[in-house]
Amino acid sequence: MTNKYYEFFCPVKVIAGKSALEHMPYELTGLASERPMIVTDKGVRAAGLLDPVIAACKEGGLEIASIYDEVPPDSSTTVVREIARIYRAEKCDSIIAVGGGSAIDTGKAVNILVSEGGDDIAEYSGAGVLKRPLKPFFVVPTTAGTGSEVTSVAVITDEKKNVKLPFTSSFLLPNAAIIDPRMTLTLPPHITAATAMDALTHATEAFTCMAKNPLSDAYATAALKKISHSLLAVMANPKDSAGRLELAQASTMAGIAFSNSMVGLVHSLGHATGAICHLPHGMCMSIYLPYVLEFNLESIREPLGELLLYLEGPEVYSATPASHRAEGSIAAIRKLRDRLFELCELPRTLKETGKVLEGQLDSIAKLALDDGSIMFNPREVSLEDAKTVLQRAWG
Amino acid sequence: MMGKRLKPMMFNARRAYVELMFQVMGRALQAISEVDESTRSETIELPDGFLFEMRVMPHGPALIVEHTGTGRLLYHGDEPPRPVDLSIQFKHIAHAFLVLSFQEKTAVAFANDRMLVDGDISYAVRITRVLNRLESFILPKLVAQRAVKEYPANIKLPEKLVRAARIYLKVATNFVETARS
Ligand SMILES: [Fe+2]
Repeated sequence: MTNKYYEFFCPVKVIAGKSALEHMPYELTGLASERPMIVTDKGVRAAGLLDPVIAACKEGGLEIASIYDEVPPDSSTTVVREIARIYRAEKCDSIIAVGGGSAIDTGKAVNILVSEGGDDIAEYSGAGVLKRPLKPFFVVPTTAGTGSEVTSVAVITDEKKNVKLPFTSSFLLPNAAIIDPRMTLTLPPHITAATAMDALTHATEAFTCMAKNPLSDAYATAALKKISHSLLAVMANPKDSAGRLELAQASTMAGIAFSNSMVGLVHSLGHATGAICHLPHGMCMSIYLPYVLEFNLESIREPLGELLLYLEGPEVYSATPASHRAEGSIAAIRKLRDRLFELCELPRTLKETGKVLEGQLDSIAKLALDDGSIMFNPREVSLEDAKTVLQRAWG
Repeated sequence: MMGKRLKPMMFNARRAYVELMFQVMGRALQAISEVDESTRSETIELPDGFLFEMRVMPHGPALIVEHTGTGRLLYHGDEPPRPVDLSIQFKHIAHAFLVLSFQEKTAVAFANDRMLVDGDISYAVRITRVLNRLESFILPKLVAQRAVKEYPANIKLPEKLVRAARIYLKVATNFVETARS
């Protein structure tokens, strides 16, 4: 008899592939939505990514009732309140978030306010506060990395108190995630690389951390396979729309994996580094991943070894003795990082970022120990351990 | 027929065990914060007067502990003197039993959605590390390796508490075996 128990939940309808955006009017109408509001940021609008979304809706007989395009990189309670005000004034009845992590989190938070009422999003902070479904909510990701379109979490900064408010509820999940290759086609190389490494980290941590389970394993390995197949091809040829779609799907699949099995120390260190040194999340993931895998090695030898099949393919996997496969997986990840460094200077060490001071490592270590994801790391992490990993990642 | 009569007995025994283990753990948490430097290095980061509870939904049992300052913990029994700052809640008595009879690691129980955190997650992370350390004090090494991620090298806790906890653990083991057979 096994004591193993797990839960797996992903009620998000995935609408993926060629002309996926054009399915939105049908899907929205099916949820009785007639006046959707788009929530996005300036970058998305400037890149012309809203045009196909608006056109697809309009042509399908659905007018966008309102567009808010000023979501900042770190969304705040003030922004959420303002968007909710506009939503009500314009009598909107649904939300389409178009963008990366921040736009999506903002969409989730706005949906709480416009569905549950009130002006203060902080009142809904925490886990399990929401008790019923919210308004129809669609997500169109424009980066292939965060996986936020399939996670039940949002983080919003409370500017007055200067704290990050977490929101957790399965009701935050969108009704649908629309994965259209057009939306990631113009992503610049260094962002393509960093966000793909975020997705690769989600898959790797989902597969090696404490809450791994058979269903999340399946998503994680499939995501890894897609990323190792397509990332370098897309870097060489950014207009490779098939490759872009592969990366976007991999990101969603890795998101489904980690939202059901959690992540570990790579993310704890990454969140702390993001907070202290303001480095992009994907970049932090890429830097820390091999060092954390080395730290965890003896606790994850078996699953990490299995990943070699998806990272390097069947030939390399079968040519590598079982006892060396875990090291082989780490080497494959290092090799990928070296290539990305050559192609777009994605840093491999903290020193290479030029934005971290060695004197900051201790405070990063301390903050990482407070991060929720450290709970699911397969090895217990002491302050000294965190410092050691950071020292190795320093360069 | 046997099954029908056994069930309520099992329910009662399981609840009694969880109640007892909460008491043992409450006292042990207080003791460990007095004798163990590395526990204090975790608890000292909690605000003074910080009150946390572990509770079984929907109506208890519960374990209330306060950080009184300088890393020291004080066991309050099962009634909080004021609203708690952090609540770690088991969804069902059966899940509390799994964790408190060390069949399931605390972190795994979190990962498995057996418990909910109401409050600041960073404090919950600290308390989980303290619980891991406590489990390794109480448990015989072989069992501890199953219950916690790592077995600490240096441990000293009042022998009386350790003995009490191990007695309950034995009760639990017998109980598990009876329930399974
Ligand atoms: Fe991530």
